[in-house]
Amino acid sequence: MPGADKETELSERIEAFLSELKRCGSGAGSLRGSAETARETTSLLRRITAQARWSNAGDLMEIIRKEGRRMTAGQPSETTVGNMVRRVLKIIREEYARSRGSTEEADQQESLHKLLTSGGSSEDNFRQHFTHLKANVIEAINELLTELEGTTDNISMQALEHIHSNEVIMTIGRSRTVEAFLKDAARKRKFHVIVAECAPFCQGHEMATSLSKEDIETTVIPDAAIFAVMSRVNKVIIGTQTVLANGGLRAVNGTHTLALAAKHHSTPLIVCAPMFKLSPQWDSALQELVLRSFCFLLPGEILSKVNAHCPVFDYVPPELITLFISNIGGNAPSYIYRLMSELYHPEDHEL
Amino acid sequence: ADDSPHSITVVGGKSGKQSRPRKAEKDEEEQPLQAVLVADSFNRRFFPISKDQPRALLPLANVSMIDYTLEFLTSTGVQETFVFCCWMSSKIKEHLQKSKWCRPTSPNVVHVITSDLYRSLGDVLRDVDAKALVRSDFLLVYGDVVSNIDVSQALQEHKQRRKMEKNVSVMTMIFKESPPGHKTRCEDDDIIVAMDGKSKRILHYQRAQALKKLHFPMNIFHSGSDEFEIRFDLLDCHISICSPQVAELFTDNFDYQTKNDFVRGLLVNEEILGNQIHMHVTKDGYGARVSNLLMYDTVSSDTIRRWIYPITPEANFADQEGQSCTHSRHNVYREPGVSLGHGSQMEENVLIGRNTVIGANCTISNTVIGANCVIGDNVTLDRAYIWNRVHIANDVKVKQSVICDNVEVKHGVVLNEQCVLAYNVVVGPDITLQEGTVLSMHHPDEEDDEDEDEFLSDDDVGYSKDKTKQKGSLFNPAEVGSEGKGYRWKSSSLDDTEEDELAECIWGLALNPDPESDSESEVSEGSHDLGSHPASPELDDVKVFQNEVHGTLQRGLDENISCDNLVLEINSLKYAYNISLKEVMQILIRVVLEFPFQQQGAQISTAQYSSHLLPLLKKWAPVFKNYVKRPQDQMDCLASMEEVFLERETHWAALVKVLMSVYQLEILEEEGIMRWFKQSSTTGKSQQLRRNQGLLKFIQWLEEAEESSEGDE
Repeated sequence: MPGADKETELSERIEAFLSELKRCGSGAGSLRGSAETARETTSLLRRITAQARWSNAGDLMEIIRKEGRRMTAGQPSETTVGNMVRRVLKIIREEYARSRGSTEEADQQESLHKLLTSGGSSEDNFRQHFTHLKANVIEAINELLTELEGTTDNISMQALEHIHSNEVIMTIGRSRTVEAFLKDAARKRKFHVIVAECAPFCQGHEMATSLSKEDIETTVIPDAAIFAVMSRVNKVIIGTQTVLANGGLRAVNGTHTLALAAKHHSTPLIVCAPMFKLSPQWDSALQELVLRSFCFLLPGEILSKVNAHCPVFDYVPPELITLFISNIGGNAPSYIYRLMSELYHPEDHEL
Repeated sequence: ADDSPHSITVVGGKSGKQSRPRKAEKDEEEQPLQAVLVADSFNRRFFPISKDQPRALLPLANVSMIDYTLEFLTSTGVQETFVFCCWMSSKIKEHLQKSKWCRPTSPNVVHVITSDLYRSLGDVLRDVDAKALVRSDFLLVYGDVVSNIDVSQALQEHKQRRKMEKNVSVMTMIFKESPPGHKTRCEDDDIIVAMDGKSKRILHYQRAQALKKLHFPMNIFHSGSDEFEIRFDLLDCHISICSPQVAELFTDNFDYQTKNDFVRGLLVNEEILGNQIHMHVTKDGYGARVSNLLMYDTVSSDTIRRWIYPITPEANFADQEGQSCTHSRHNVYREPGVSLGHGSQMEENVLIGRNTVIGANCTISNTVIGANCVIGDNVTLDRAYIWNRVHIANDVKVKQSVICDNVEVKHGVVLNEQCVLAYNVVVGPDITLQEGTVLSMHHPDEEDDEDEDEFLSDDDVGYSKDKTKQKGSLFNPAEVGSEGKGYRWKSSSLDDTEEDELAECIWGLALNPDPESDSESEVSEGSHDLGSHPASPELDDVKVFQNEVHGTLQRGLDENISCDNLVLEINSLKYAYNISLKEVMQILIRVVLEFPFQQQGAQISTAQYSSHLLPLLKKWAPVFKNYVKRPQDQMDCLASMEEVFLERETHWAALVKVLMSVYQLEILEEEGIMRWFKQSSTTGKSQQLRRNQGLLKFIQWLEEAEESSEGDE
């Protein structure tokens, strides 16, 4: 039975992806970038769309939602997975609407009046069967994948608009997006980069090595020196793990300090974040600062009486951020809510 | 129960057909990594808890211990695991069948092998060999190991060594660096390891608990390496990478019961068999075996404090339905459906299972609570481990205790440190349990019937349940409270003093010598030892040999046997007990020097002592001459004499006479004595010995004699 075979293969792939997600962990210890996670999630969702059994958009959304819940539960701190699931759900909604002949655009303009009158769930509307829906959805997911592949390039293309000659740029830890951004600017301009090392995992060291290989003048400083050095800095450019719905950040530990120092010295803080990092959740993110214990080289007797906490992420409030640079251009933190509503359907915020 | 003694059940995993072709391609290059998981502890440490549930299934932070072990194996890339179980094997099998490990998509294929005949690790590995289960190097772990160590590096080193020298290195043991005083250091597991600093080869391995003096055989320092490490800061994670030879060696040596036997046996016989053991020390991984309740306490709190990242409670790695919990500040974890009353505080490091209801004004810290529990108002819990479906009434205080499934704790009960309430017990109301109280529904007298069969089959449990029913309603209100149900658990039928020992035993404090400890056999001989293994032969050999030599010499004296025959007898004893030549001499000296004490009692005066000893020395001079030949032998001989006399300070005066007579009997030469005398001694006591008046005179005399003999020439 080829059908059954396909299904077991599919579930095997999902399992493998899940276990990999769980093992790789997130944040500091991550082996892969979130861009890769986003791509893998999307291609897995495409596979589910292609191989799972469904007859109408409602079924498909149910399947995707179910698998999406599992995937997000696998690694709650990696929001990219959930974001991609939401994007795909949105695609299905749009394609369904297009097949029906109406525009999703109109659907989404939910006025208070509409909310009051409609009542009940709109899920019932998705039961209609369209033969071309599958092909259309897969086509749209393919477009999403192409978009994902180009994100880093799209962001780094804007580098020259933001980095000028002889500027001093500060960054923290290691972000692949920021790395590409700076390297792109370095092809035309000369500038100086100061990297905060981001203890205790010290990803800043890797960042500095990689930048200096491209002949960028680079200095590594300990996190404690951020404030002292800030007065000489023209611009702070950082990456982030997640952009929250209110325009705040969940970024690597130490970013909050950096942002506060930048605010004090009125230094502009620019965040390079691809669109797939935009997450509709924000309340839970504040609660779940992912902690990971870390081995200290302390004598045993002391260690057993110590409660060691090692937060991996900081929450940075939106007031401290000057500009977001995403693959579709620069935006102010206050505009994030709008992007959010363009990317995700409000009903998908809770999977 | 199965009729056949050994039954293999493949429960799930990919069926062979599907996965074979893919593997076959790799076969030449790389065999899939296999693991042997021993889901039995082969001792009764966790009794009475493990009377109802095997240890591997006990919940640790609401997940069975065996799931931690399997997760560890899977994450290190193991593709096939053999789970061996004996005690309550059906329960383990059932658990595994339901778990995610047996889903068809599991990357780790789990086979369960059960038999009632396994009595030790040795039996399991002999069975592995008999069934030819392993094809290449495999991981050996217990079902109660919790770890996040990445063994791939150790595995690579192991393979490298095997490639370099074919079949010499048979095992790589994995250790974690943890300095003394570290929480995860289990007191029974204190070990001292001598290793070759460069090749990471283990030269000597000894359990160190309660030993004041440690002996290292000299030959380990002659092995040609110039870098040695003697380490006491290591924790045995009970994870080892074994080659298939390990199983074969267990078959060849049917007296090996534990891994300890194996390691010691292999090290002792290294010259003969040519097998070596290596080690790998990890700094940042976590690995510990839950070998007693104190370790249970430690490992649970480490799990909650996220030391075993990425194995954390909210990761829900066991993939159980409804077990996904949320993690919030101060390490508070909540599964779905938890309700918390007004004014209750979860201070820190708390894990609460699904659908548990907690009343008002409770204070909870460092605690794990299972699913479907009901906890009343004004309850204080600190370091409490509460399993599933437990009812706790109002105004209860619990400190560092374990409360098993379905227990009912009534109003106003206070549990002091290290109490254990086993399955289905009811306590209270208004009773205070003393420190270390263990209550169980099993009547302690059941033990009598079961003593013969240490590891019961399921039938026996049914039998004992019947018995409980017969005896029911005879609970002692002083022990469990007026409405309580349960018996105070005692170790067998021995007198009351044994009670404390058992409580310590389950909590694993060092008051009671560890049942597995071999070196302590003298001490524990008389005491009741739970789950004791037959003492390993190697450790006692020296002692037995000494007794035998003493007997031989005694007989020689009584029956006037000639010295040649004595030498012959001692030599045959040497081979029988596998004693090195040097040790023979040391023991011989010791036996002879202590001979007068043995015969005349320890209180004899120095004069009496020497008058007894000197004729003996004269009589047995040929025996000594047979063993003392090279200059090095002389030094060893003198060193052991010194050792004997250092222990008997009052008889120092006799040393001169002994030296004089051995000199005159031409057993020792003057150069040897002079060299020994000039040796810079390490301890103050032996310096004192050298400053003894008589000795100084003797040395002076020797020097003069030397000069005069030189003058003569």
